[in-house]
Amino acid sequence: MSARILIVEDSPLVTEAFSILFTEAGYEVDTAATVAEAIERGTSEVVDVMILDISLPDGSGLEVLGALRDNGSLPRATLAMTGHNDPVSHRKCIEAGCAEVLLKPVPIAELLRQIKRHLQ
Amino acid sequence: MSMSDRSDPAALKKRLKTLEAQTKEAQRTVDELKARDALKTQFLSNISHDLRTPLAAIITHAEILREGMLGDLNTKQRDSVSGIVNGGQQLLDMIDEILTYVRGASDQVTLVRTTFSITEVVDQVRLLNQALAAKKGLTIERLNGDDLPPVYADSDKLKHVLGNLIGNAIKFTPEGGRIWIRFTRRGRNADELVVEVGDTGRGISRGNHELIFREFAQVDASPSRPHHGTGLGLAIARKLVELHYGTIWVESELGKGSRFFFTLPLTATK
Repeated sequence: MSARILIVEDSPLVTEAFSILFTEAGYEVDTAATVAEAIERGTSEVVDVMILDISLPDGSGLEVLGALRDNGSLPRATLAMTGHNDPVSHRKCIEAGCAEVLLKPVPIAELLRQIKRHLQ
Repeated sequence: MSMSDRSDPAALKKRLKTLEAQTKEAQRTVDELKARDALKTQFLSNISHDLRTPLAAIITHAEILREGMLGDLNTKQRDSVSGIVNGGQQLLDMIDEILTYVRGASDQVTLVRTTFSITEVVDQVRLLNQALAAKKGLTIERLNGDDLPPVYADSDKLKHVLGNLIGNAIKFTPEGGRIWIRFTRRGRNADELVVEVGDTGRGISRGNHELIFREFAQVDASPSRPHHGTGLGLAIARKLVELHYGTIWVESELGKGSRFFFTLPLTATK
């Protein structure tokens, strides 16, 4: 069975691009556009890797991690995506439990490499 | 103030009142300008973030196509799609430059200082720019520095400064020219490092030496100018150097190349 990736991102444009990318790379894909939706999707299905946008309309993406940890549904790895290349937000993501912090837009080769590495 | 004002207390009082009113008015104008400047900064920040998202989608889609994930492309198709990726990347770099400027303008830039070898950082930036320079037949040399002690600074910010200076040198130096990086030490204990980025390019007239470090300033700002950019590169470089308590300046004459200098404290003075 192929690994499942949950894309948490509020821009439908970016979600669509990632959906095509991950589906073509052979993964199962699920999507969420808000913190609430991400918690719901992450709890109802087993997620192997979560691609997490930090700025979401109803809060910080990091809240998703906290909620999934509380209900025992943490994905194997969470890769944070941020538009800010600053050390403070980087540290916050790592402290919240993200395995990697990637600066948007991540070159697709790098993104697929990171996912593969965390699934091993 | 006239002689009659000095001898007439009523006139003096009136004059004082006028001055007070004028000072208040001036302060109001300053406050309003500051508020407008903050609005402009916020607008730039918002618009830059909003531009980044669709651009990220464009680049990702184009990369998926270029990598043949949706089927094989012939050479012409791949070249064309590569053009979309490269153009998108260039646009993204410009947006990032605006964001860096905005953070600097609103004092959101914090330095993460470590001790490191400046020559290694220079060599990394040289390497990054090698392909671009080679396209124009330019050489980028580091003339000295192997014996320098480490610097205590923010290496990422320093890379940004060097990247901007070397990028400009590549942009404004005609084919076959030279770009170099040279270090000198100054100060009582030779505890200040001067980094020079020089080129054999078209040079900058003396009257524009100050202008080029101002935000949004370009010596040639006409729509038909041959070199486009945000006009923020040197303003950002200055901000980042000043955060390190350094200074940045240029020595140049039209037609005689340019030498940009900036200073950094060496480890011993941290």
